Amino acid sequence: MAPKADTQSAGAVAAADASSQFSMDPLFHILKVVPYSFLRAPRLRLKIPSVSLPSAMTVFSLVLLTYFMVVSGFVYDVIVEPPGIGSTQDPATGAVRPVVFLPGRVNGQYIIEGLSSGFMFVLGGIGIVLLDLALDKNRARSVKVSYAIAGISSVVIAYVMTTLFIRIKIPGYLR
Amino acid sequence: MATMPASASDLLKSFKLKTKQQELLIRVSILCLVYILAFITRLFSVLRYESMIHEFDPYFNYRTTLYLTENGFYDFWNWFDYESWYPLGRIVGGTLYPGLMVTAVLIYRILRFLRFAVHIREVCVLTAPFFASNTTLVAYFFGKEIWDSGAGLVAAILIAICPGYISRSVAGSYDNEGVAIFALLFTFYVFVKAVNTGSLAWSLASAFGYFYMVSAWGGYVFIINLIPLYVLVLLITGRYSMRLYVAYNCMYILGMLLAMQIRFVGFQHVQSGEHMAVMGVFFLMQVFYFLDWVKHMLSDTKLFQAFLRITVTCAVAVGGIALGLGMVSGYISPWTGRFYSLLDPTYAKDHIPIIASVSEHQPTAWSSFMFDFHILLFLFPAGLYFCFKRLSDATIFIVMYGLTSMYFAGVMVRLILVATPAVCLISAIAVSATVKNLTVLLRSKNKVVQTGSTKGSGGSKSSSKALLDQSQPFQKNGAIALLFGAFYLLSRYATHCTWVTSEAYSSPSIVLAARGAHGNRVIFDDYREAYFWLRQNTPQDAKVMSWWDYGYQITAMGNRTVIVDNNTWNNTHIATVGRAMSSYEDEAIEIIRSLDVDYVLVVFGGVTGYSSDDINKFLWMVRIGGGVFPVIKEPDYLVNGEYRVDKGAAPKMLNCLMYKLCYYRFGEMLTEYGKPPGYDRARGVEIGNKDVKLEHLEEAFTTSNWIVRIYRVKPPNNRCPHNVETPVVTHLGDVFPNGSNIHGQSGTCNPQNLGVCLDLLGLVDVNLGNAPTKPCCSLIEGLVDLEGAVCLCTAVRANVLGIHINLSISLSLLLRNCERKVATEYICGP
Repeated sequence: MAPKADTQSAGAVAAADASSQFSMDPLFHILKVVPYSFLRAPRLRLKIPSVSLPSAMTVFSLVLLTYFMVVSGFVYDVIVEPPGIGSTQDPATGAVRPVVFLPGRVNGQYIIEGLSSGFMFVLGGIGIVLLDLALDKNRARSVKVSYAIAGISSVVIAYVMTTLFIRIKIPGYLR
Repeated sequence: MATMPASASDLLKSFKLKTKQQELLIRVSILCLVYILAFITRLFSVLRYESMIHEFDPYFNYRTTLYLTENGFYDFWNWFDYESWYPLGRIVGGTLYPGLMVTAVLIYRILRFLRFAVHIREVCVLTAPFFASNTTLVAYFFGKEIWDSGAGLVAAILIAICPGYISRSVAGSYDNEGVAIFALLFTFYVFVKAVNTGSLAWSLASAFGYFYMVSAWGGYVFIINLIPLYVLVLLITGRYSMRLYVAYNCMYILGMLLAMQIRFVGFQHVQSGEHMAVMGVFFLMQVFYFLDWVKHMLSDTKLFQAFLRITVTCAVAVGGIALGLGMVSGYISPWTGRFYSLLDPTYAKDHIPIIASVSEHQPTAWSSFMFDFHILLFLFPAGLYFCFKRLSDATIFIVMYGLTSMYFAGVMVRLILVATPAVCLISAIAVSATVKNLTVLLRSKNKVVQTGSTKGSGGSKSSSKALLDQSQPFQKNGAIALLFGAFYLLSRYATHCTWVTSEAYSSPSIVLAARGAHGNRVIFDDYREAYFWLRQNTPQDAKVMSWWDYGYQITAMGNRTVIVDNNTWNNTHIATVGRAMSSYEDEAIEIIRSLDVDYVLVVFGGVTGYSSDDINKFLWMVRIGGGVFPVIKEPDYLVNGEYRVDKGAAPKMLNCLMYKLCYYRFGEMLTEYGKPPGYDRARGVEIGNKDVKLEHLEEAFTTSNWIVRIYRVKPPNNRCPHNVETPVVTHLGDVFPNGSNIHGQSGTCNPQNLGVCLDLLGLVDVNLGNAPTKPCCSLIEGLVDLEGAVCLCTAVRANVLGIHINLSISLSLLLRNCERKVATEYICGP
């Protein structure tokens, strides 16, 4: 029992209520008198768009998008405004080389490294979801197999890449 | 003999448990092991260093707990602390959350009652690990409520070692969060149980859980905003029910009344903007109930629809008007800066530098997430998927808790702690569901063969039956391989968590450790050395000025009054200290004298390479000071926007008080092989101004590694009154008959000679009868009276005379004998 917290527009009320004789709505009665006793209400074929709740999986995909943004450090990017990618000067040749991972601290990042790590996390999550879809009984076998392979490879790639990233970022990791 | 084996096998059969009992045994033993694991993984720092309180805030909590044990609850509740925030003082009873202290004292009293003679400090150090173990139990029951007991067990294991939780609940971290996370999870669990069962008893328990949370931590605002949001989502998705009504109403009303018992919270539940959401949803629930009742009474649906529209419009309008009236009249205060900056993260950076300066309040980068969660970052979206697949009241709650807490964790690093239970629970769901799928696959061999043979089910052709039989072992092997993969990932998680706990989160912060040249561990215990020096070598009523970080530690360990401390409730007072630290010494001494300060304490990391010292925090002092006193401008201290301390630094930086206090005598110090003297190891540069002279302060103590430096404020110079017409009245106030003064000739004051002269004349013990002879007069010839007196005073202060003589008498005697007019008595100041 969801409340409809919108006040109906007068025209729609009039159009919908043209056939019924009795209404409890005070606004309707006021409007029946004031403009519409001498104005003729037009015959419209408008329908109030029915707002229905989105399906669970739609909401889940939106949630996944938000999760990607949060976990890639989007808020950090907005507030601290780091460069997209860092740069360092090679002492020998003087050429400027790009640096992808911000060295020295755990709580600091460049924009691109944040986005790529966030992508890896979401990829790992999607891999596990694909594995679950692969074990669903109501699909064709080839689809199930391809889901399973995609899921396993996603999880493996995501885990390996993430471990690689953190090892580059924190040189003393697991030592 | 035949009966023996029979009875033995009978005996064994009686011991053999039924499956249910076996399962119970496995579950209980797993929970016991997890309980012990959660406790011992937090003991690294106790084993490496000693059982001591860590960091800054816990020292305040420890001091208040000591006060509570010694003086009892009534004195504690009404305590006015005059030893901090001098000269303002602090109403401790009304500005703290008492839950942690009361809990620790309760545990202490119970142990004492059982005749275990423990010291309160040991109880304080081990409170957080004890409550972490309890949290794992609550996580088990919560997981069981949301999904099933398998998920509960996995949740308990994950939360026992998760670094996001360990970071604030390690042994020695005697802080509010250690107890608050337990209270948070407990309140949520009991509330979800109440919504699932609709029982009044569980709702009552959730109200008391909420009360415990309010008494423990300021983060209770999260609960009081998440629960109405959850109820709103339930209402929108059409899940209104009587159970929800009972649970929410009971929890809100009772919880609110109980929360008002805490003085620090007071009437915020009806007056503060942050608590208005829960009140609004409360009224909305009443409207829902009313409409449900009317619908039950009416049989006409059309009539009911119209009635529905009117009622909801009226209710929303009335609510909006009431809220508007409340905010406009000022009765309902707007959101405070601390919580508003969570909704709008850019707010703190621009408006409140104190909040922005704390490193824990910075937004989170991906590596902090990875560090604190590891595998759970993959399992979280998978767990969300499973929750969305099987929506119920409980899963909707955990999804909302997870999403909101992850957003807040992204805004502020410190709030990863609040997100940890949700992430662990949702990940547990993913693990449990995946493992269940795989094990079902492992066991499904017989079932598929049976259905294939008996039913000839649709969807599988007869030819594929053979294929199915062939692929069975392949599927089984695949499932076994995947199970091993899952086991491998979880074991990597355990390794990561233990490594992170050992390396990153077990540092006491008050004792620093580093690796020496040969790999041996070197311990720097400078902080405690300095605080104990303060405790033992300064007068009881000495007042210490330092940056606010160290205030709690100074009062707890040094037992001295401080000017500002970590409570940071008075921004202007902190800005005054910041201004003093960033001004030139002459301006700073005015502020220091006005605050009645006796000692100034700074932390300096240039010798050891310690990077959390006051020079690195200095820009925050400038910003905070400049926020209140516009005379302090940040660009004055920077060179081209860059913060430097070497030769190219800004002149204001090179001469400000903080620079002088940190680098006094540092210019001659050799810190690193192959580098010039005065090389600052923390900044990696040679300092710009090596010749630091202090005029109004003198060095009192520097710790063995130069980390903490304490300076004494010198008393003001003797200032003699110039006014001849108004003599200072003393017992020797005579005026000479010939009022001639020797002017004009400029003379010099040589304190050393004067001292020798006075010594020769035997002025060591002066009584009124002795009269010094003329030779001394030549030394002060040419000096005006005032200058002569000043000269003598300087000689005494420089301790050249090395004796304490009754100066007022000797001054006048000397001057009189040299036939100088003494219009007023000159008295050397102390």
